[in-house]
Amino acid sequence: MVEFKDVSVTYSSGVDALNKVNLKINDGDFAFVVGPSGAGKSTLIKLVLKEIDATNGEVIVNGFNLRKLRRGKIPALRRTIGVVFQDFRLIPTMTVYENVAFVLRVIDAPAKYIRSRVPYVINLVGLSDKTKSYPTELSGGEQQRVALARALVNDPKLIIADEPTGNIDPALSYEIVGLLKGINECGTTVLMVTHEHELVRYFGGRIININKGSIAFDEVIGGTHENK
Amino acid sequence: MRISSMRYLVHQGFKGIWKNRMMSFASFCIMLVSLLMVGISVLLAININRIIGGIEDKSELVVQIKDGCSQEQIDELKNNLSSLPNVNTIEFYSKEQAWESMVKDMTKEEQELFQYADDNFLPDTFRVTVHDIKEMTLTTTQISTFSNVESTRSPSEFTDVLISIRRILGIISGAIVIALIVVCLIIISNTTRASVFARRKEINIMKYVGAKNSFIRIPFFIEGMIVGLLAAAAALGLTKFAYDGVYNIFNNDFKLWSVLGINNLYSFDDLFIHVTIAYAVAGALIGALGTSFSTGKHLKV
Repeated sequence: MVEFKDVSVTYSSGVDALNKVNLKINDGDFAFVVGPSGAGKSTLIKLVLKEIDATNGEVIVNGFNLRKLRRGKIPALRRTIGVVFQDFRLIPTMTVYENVAFVLRVIDAPAKYIRSRVPYVINLVGLSDKTKSYPTELSGGEQQRVALARALVNDPKLIIADEPTGNIDPALSYEIVGLLKGINECGTTVLMVTHEHELVRYFGGRIININKGSIAFDEVIGGTHENK
Repeated sequence: MRISSMRYLVHQGFKGIWKNRMMSFASFCIMLVSLLMVGISVLLAININRIIGGIEDKSELVVQIKDGCSQEQIDELKNNLSSLPNVNTIEFYSKEQAWESMVKDMTKEEQELFQYADDNFLPDTFRVTVHDIKEMTLTTTQISTFSNVESTRSPSEFTDVLISIRRILGIISGAIVIALIVVCLIIISNTTRASVFARRKEINIMKYVGAKNSFIRIPFFIEGMIVGLLAAAAALGLTKFAYDGVYNIFNNDFKLWSVLGINNLYSFDDLFIHVTIAYAVAGALIGALGTSFSTGKHLKV
């Protein structure tokens, strides 16, 4: 669950990135966050990951009150969140298997569990035949699927996808969002930031439109694929 | 932490060296040169100190015993001398030995002239060496108060010069070693910072998936420590090679220098354990701490 209560963020440059934002994303929701560049979408993501602190207001993520969360406890928060970035952010010196297994090693998971869980998740994203490949040997779509597997392997309560289709072919974009939808159907909350209105219209669901640091629109719409 | 996780982190440390071999090699070279510079400077300082110490050891004060003293009185004086804490060795030099030695040093003409001398006018003496040359003047004064002491002679001016040389050399070598250590630390810290900077994205990703700072630091720590230990091993080999070369030159080709105490140079075997421990500890610590401190900046995500 993600909850923003009167959250404002003013950067040291004086720019007001968010202005008294109130928002609640319940467990199991799938929400698209849309809006023009500079609207405050990235600030919202940074707040959820506790990369920055709110100037005013309270942010609660998966039961953690981020205002009160000490620096040493940030890893515990982040272990409940899976993140998918636009630029994939895979470790180039690690194979697909190692990139995914790495997350479990971070949380000190038993070796036996790692050996069974990692191939299962890689299989879920359809990359069973690429486990020994390095990121540079994969296409953009494949790299994003590895990133998705990495976000998923820890069985997080929340997945944040920051423009996950920004660097891949439009055709593959639908595949990636389809995978995220499938993950959501299994109970994981998904928060996806995107610029691609076509994609949003196609899948539908909860749309949060941020403009000039405020929520301009927060409604559930039907997807065009449901009409087909 | 599980053993499997610890094993994984150690393994990552080793893998990191190979994966970032260019930066690892740069760190290795910088650390090798740094350890060599500091190590050789310290060895030089230690040996100069020892040479001066050797010269100091040869400085002795001469105690002239009053003429006509009985053996008991001479023994009593010897006991008095031994009771002084700064006195190291006491050697009795009889007037007969002194006469013999003097005659031996004379020319033939002088010897012919002296054979007619019917009385040995030279005194019995004690030749005394001291533990601390700086206290020689005080010791001389103390000895002169003992009964049956005719006079005392000590090379006080010479010892004062030696003390000054030793003090100045101590300050200069200390300053050079400290300056070298500072310069080396700055160079090493810049090299490790560059090495870590090249992998900042990797660290950033680790932070996003919830890695604790210790989890991120351990492989860097191990990597730095191994590179440091390898540099220490190479520095030890090179130091031994260079040191033995210089030592042999002074020991075999300049035996005359022994008069000045040059033969007092430490052999590398004397110093092997100390040099090995110093290099290993310095290499491992500088490598490990330098690398893991450099990661700190990138952990604030």
